Amino acid sequence: MAEAMVKLEGICKRFGELEVLKGVNVDIAKGEVVCILGPSGSGKSTLLRCVNLLEPPEEGDIYIEGKSICKGPGSGSGESSWELDFVRQRVGIVFQQFNLFPHKTALENVTLAQETVLGRSRSEARAKASELLERVGLGDKVDQYPDRLSGGQQQRVAIARALAMDPHVMLFDEVTSALDPELVKEVLDVMRELAEEGMTMIVVTHEIGFAREVADRVVFMDGGVIVEQGPPADVLESPREERTREFLGLVLDH
Amino acid sequence: MSEFFHQYFDFGYMGEHFWEVFEAFLQNLLIFAVVAVLALAWGLILALLRQLPGKKFLPVRFITIAYIDIFRAIPILIVILLISGGIPFLDFIPKEIRIPHWFGKPDPFWYGVAALMLVYGAFSAEVYRAGIEAVPRGQMEAARSLGMSHGQAMRHVVVPQAISVIPAPMLNEMISLLKDSTLVSVIAFAESVLISRELLAQSFNSSALILTGFFFILIILPLARVVDKLIARNQGKITRGSHIEVA
Repeated sequence: MAEAMVKLEGICKRFGELEVLKGVNVDIAKGEVVCILGPSGSGKSTLLRCVNLLEPPEEGDIYIEGKSICKGPGSGSGESSWELDFVRQRVGIVFQQFNLFPHKTALENVTLAQETVLGRSRSEARAKASELLERVGLGDKVDQYPDRLSGGQQQRVAIARALAMDPHVMLFDEVTSALDPELVKEVLDVMRELAEEGMTMIVVTHEIGFAREVADRVVFMDGGVIVEQGPPADVLESPREERTREFLGLVLDH
Repeated sequence: MSEFFHQYFDFGYMGEHFWEVFEAFLQNLLIFAVVAVLALAWGLILALLRQLPGKKFLPVRFITIAYIDIFRAIPILIVILLISGGIPFLDFIPKEIRIPHWFGKPDPFWYGVAALMLVYGAFSAEVYRAGIEAVPRGQMEAARSLGMSHGQAMRHVVVPQAISVIPAPMLNEMISLLKDSTLVSVIAFAESVLISRELLAQSFNSSALILTGFFFILIILPLARVVDKLIARNQGKITRGSHIEVA
């Protein structure tokens, strides 16, 4: 395998007494789509939030495109001990709750960071934003404020907003969990297209169907560790581990 | 009874001294206007300092919180007396600053403005803070994830949303400020209460104080109704969604 796009090494994360991640190792190749499954509280969202340092891990190292993003000892604690800018320039994230900026239109949501962070001109940022909103099927909604959009539309704006920064890796944190069932497909379709275009994606999800169809690899987590991983056909159809079987039984049996 | 009425509600006396009291009341409005601008700016600075993240800024946060707590706790009258009684004697400060007569206003005016600004900066910082903390955490996370610095996220994402929920409580603070502008009378600045008391001393008639009270009512009652309107409007737009869950 070529050099990993994202490599996590011995990641540990605690919230007070609660040990959420207990030494997670995983490599994600360029262009790979990895779906992380697991029961709630298994640490899968926290792992995702470690990758872009929203929850900086206490132990372990993260490599992005081969570069360690941990500054090493003596560089302070929390955020300041990590190569924050390097990470945020390369890693985009989409959240369960969309987190669109409610005081900005769909277009402005997508242009804001282009202008403030990347220093693009207004017209350049607007062109890019229009193109991306068009691509996620919202060409006619550019001037709407988020509260005038459905959940599925908001989530697609959020995807466009992340893509506008030209990320090399996209993180998806249960992006369809807050959506009404009939709106899930429009968001998954956008993600599927993105995967087909070769984007490296780490997807925390409960959508087993999506994982089966789109993922190159499925990672099953429980209790802060990776229980098993492999091609979706293997993990989802004939899981080796009892805990995986149990979980899939609960998820698929209705 | 009629003696009481004559003492406090002598409309003839009020008419006679109307313009004198009115002009003094304009001084209250002037103090209010100057302090309002300064305190709103100072309060925002304090609120932002208080929100600085990370261990690095712990001392800044600590000092800011101590400042806000202290100035909300000390009676304003004491602050006014300490400033007007102390600053003039700090001779390492240039005279134009420690005994200011800027824009044709006497030094008590500026001591009063300084004292009220220090105190109301602290109060308005707390209002800003409530507004900032009402913005869901996911907003800051989304902005930071896009690569914005803490400052950029505050400026473009958090503060604009915070500002939209604070007008009602902030206006309440401003109503208090307008009333507290009368406290500057204790350091002999000729605003409406001081003038009314001088009139009382000259003529043994308290009607000028009642007239002053009317002026305040006239300004403040409409503002109180505006506060009601703002509260009603805000209840219609309680922020949707955007909360986050851990793990």
